Amino acid sequence: MTDQPCMRCKENAAALVVRTEPLCRKCFTKYVHTKVIKRMETFRVRNSAPDQQRKILLPISFGVSSVILLHVLDHHLKNQKAKTGRTGYVLIVLFVDTSSVECLAQRENLLSQCQERYPDHKYASAPLHDVFSIQSPEHKSLLGLVSEMDLEPEADRTATEQLSALMKSLTSATARADVISTLRTRLIVQYAKLTGCEGVLWGDSTTRLAEKTLAETAKGRGFSLPWQIADGASPFGVTFNYPLRDVLKKELVAYAELSEPTLLPLFNDSSSNTQQPSMSSKNTTIDNLMEQYFESVEENFPSIVSNVVRTTSRLEPSQGSASESRCKLCSMPVSDGRFGIHGWGGDQQDGLENLSAERSHGLCYGCTRSIPQAAASRNLSG
Amino acid sequence: MPPTPCAICRTNRALILRPKDHSKLCKECFINVFETEIHHTVTTNNLFNRGEKIAIGASGGKDSTVLASVLKTLNERYDYGVELILLSIDEGIKGYRDDSLETVKRNAKQYDMPLTILGYDELYGWTMDQVVEQVGKKGNCTYCGVFRRQALDRGAVRLGVKHVVTGHNADDVAETVLMNLLRGDLPRLSRTTSIVTSTPSASNDPNSHTNIKRSKPLKYAYEKEIVLYAHHKNLDYFSTECIYSPEAFRGSARALIKNLERVRPSAILDVVRSGEDMAKLVPGADESCGGACSSQVPAAEEEEGGCGSSNGRNAGGKMASMEAHLAQNEVAAENGLEIEITMNGVNGQRHNRQDGGTASVVNGKKGRAKGQAFTPRKAPKQQVMGQCKRCGYLSSQEICKACVLLESLNKNRPKNHIEVSSHMQEETNGEVHNVTRG
Ligand SMILES: [Zn+2]
Ligand SMILES: [Zn+2]
Ligand SMILES: [Zn+2]
Ligand SMILES: [Zn+2]
Repeated sequence: MTDQPCMRCKENAAALVVRTEPLCRKCFTKYVHTKVIKRMETFRVRNSAPDQQRKILLPISFGVSSVILLHVLDHHLKNQKAKTGRTGYVLIVLFVDTSSVECLAQRENLLSQCQERYPDHKYASAPLHDVFSIQSPEHKSLLGLVSEMDLEPEADRTATEQLSALMKSLTSATARADVISTLRTRLIVQYAKLTGCEGVLWGDSTTRLAEKTLAETAKGRGFSLPWQIADGASPFGVTFNYPLRDVLKKELVAYAELSEPTLLPLFNDSSSNTQQPSMSSKNTTIDNLMEQYFESVEENFPSIVSNVVRTTSRLEPSQGSASESRCKLCSMPVSDGRFGIHGWGGDQQDGLENLSAERSHGLCYGCTRSIPQAAASRNLSG
Repeated sequence: MPPTPCAICRTNRALILRPKDHSKLCKECFINVFETEIHHTVTTNNLFNRGEKIAIGASGGKDSTVLASVLKTLNERYDYGVELILLSIDEGIKGYRDDSLETVKRNAKQYDMPLTILGYDELYGWTMDQVVEQVGKKGNCTYCGVFRRQALDRGAVRLGVKHVVTGHNADDVAETVLMNLLRGDLPRLSRTTSIVTSTPSASNDPNSHTNIKRSKPLKYAYEKEIVLYAHHKNLDYFSTECIYSPEAFRGSARALIKNLERVRPSAILDVVRSGEDMAKLVPGADESCGGACSSQVPAAEEEEGGCGSSNGRNAGGKMASMEAHLAQNEVAAENGLEIEITMNGVNGQRHNRQDGGTASVVNGKKGRAKGQAFTPRKAPKQQVMGQCKRCGYLSSQEICKACVLLESLNKNRPKNHIEVSSHMQEETNGEVHNVTRG
């Protein structure tokens, strides 16, 4: 960059400026690793019994974040092994293939390339429609939901058909993105349980968590934020951790660019940098909006981005939420049976006699906004 | 193309694309739906009591004009049995309120409601123009915000009214939710989502400022629908933007709300819903009730729209100054972290006791000057609200902000200056005073 010296080692030339500090490549790498490993405290070697290996699931999308997370953790595990002769945990890397429902510039063989480069872990790939076929107590509610919607003759549809029926019924880009990510999370949780993982390590950066905070708020999912942002217990019986929560998105991009040997071949084309989607509101999603918004905030106000995440992490899950009834789609606990979009102060239809009060279908407020009302009420009247 | 029939009556031709849900309605049905929803808000939240005297905070703008018109209509149609009056505040900025106050005066005639206009000079002894003259243009936003927040309540006390309704709409509430998320202010997020804010009856004095109830009957009404309603009912309102541009956080949140509405019309309502739900999750919040229903929520620090710089500081730089402050704290935390890790190299056990959060790392070295500044506001503690010793207004401090500001203003006012300015005051505001009485 310039001839500025690195602020930390005072030896090498700085390669970039991180939050006002000029750092060399080596010190920057250390900076990122330190931030991640600090968040992995609970997975220290001494916290695991030698005879019982702790397993954690790492979902990989081949975006910058999840690949870097794998890279850093691979390093972490090698260090643990070198120091103590064993590791505090093992990783199962899962790729959820959503190519049947969304257009991604997916490169071939990314998973096997990852496996080649980081061979110490287990790897798996699952198509999104597996969410309909993996046997679990929760998955019945999902099947019920799709058949309730009665979009097509019901008789033994395959998982693929069920997924495409559900997707076809959605009427906006926001709804499609919302449902895909909800199903993806469900499948990841199902898979974690199936493989005996105690938790999931998500690749969300600080910036991504801030985006999620505002996006979920805008989708009427504010009630579920304590489970979507904070580290620790999730309502799904596995823990959720976000080891990249203290690293900004732009820092991850810089990390990727400075990586040696380069990580670039492991990334998806589409995710290598934030594309500026055409702002025709037809195809813009709420997630897109927040992504663009925080890209600009991150530029000048990185600490404000961190502060959003820090603050939101302090929200406390409602008490007794474990025993509360769950949303059929996202599986989040819904307090006081407040399903659907009716029966609250901002209800648009409640006060009007001529519009029949259709009740929710065991869907939370946010999911009700995404699942088409027409289909839902058709089923109810039938 | 054949005309689309109205989605509700199915008879008339649809002329209005309803902003809230994009349904196609005729004019009559739209007006009816709009009013019915506000009636619903009023009744399900038990906003009004029969026999109650209610002051409508009237600025002459679209929100408060629509509020006055709708409440008059509903009060007659559903026999709420409440007495509605208009209360306007004149900040005393020369020329600024002239047109809007004229509008309020016409509204008072149109709706047959008594109107009172109270000036900052009457409420505080200072007009904004005088404040600006004293403290200069730069610092006056502090005064404007603090004075404005109390003005309606103080005015209500003067009139012996216990309940003030304001024209805050769904867009305002949604904007405030996002703004408080951006600012990381959970307590305020939780306070501002409730439809009724009032002060705990800390005092038995019936004239106390602390017993004024505030509510927002338009909390769930979209700004666009308010404009449509005003248009189709031919309401007489004064359209003006606040002369101050919103401070950065609010401006940013406002832009987001507009974009969200474009992408998904229900999003404004959805943000409001999220805000209500999140209010219950704020540590220390009252579980059973949260922001949605409470009548115990202190109103004192409620945000006003408009001139947003209620917290002082210069408007545009708020985001920048918060960024600088937070960044400084991060450096402090970072330094703390480095030390801990170095120590960890020497003595591993020590590190193990930390639970891994930044907060604990920093708390560990609380003694240090910089570290202390960081002290993460742990559980956002409920501010203990009491009364201002001087004016009785609800305040978390012994003396409320307004009284503190007034004190410094009064201290610095040269003796002869008082006479001059109060004399001029009478001249410029003479007209308004007449109206107040008339
Ligand atoms: Zn260096
Ligand atoms: Zn749901
Ligand atoms: Zn009609
Ligand atoms: Zn006071």
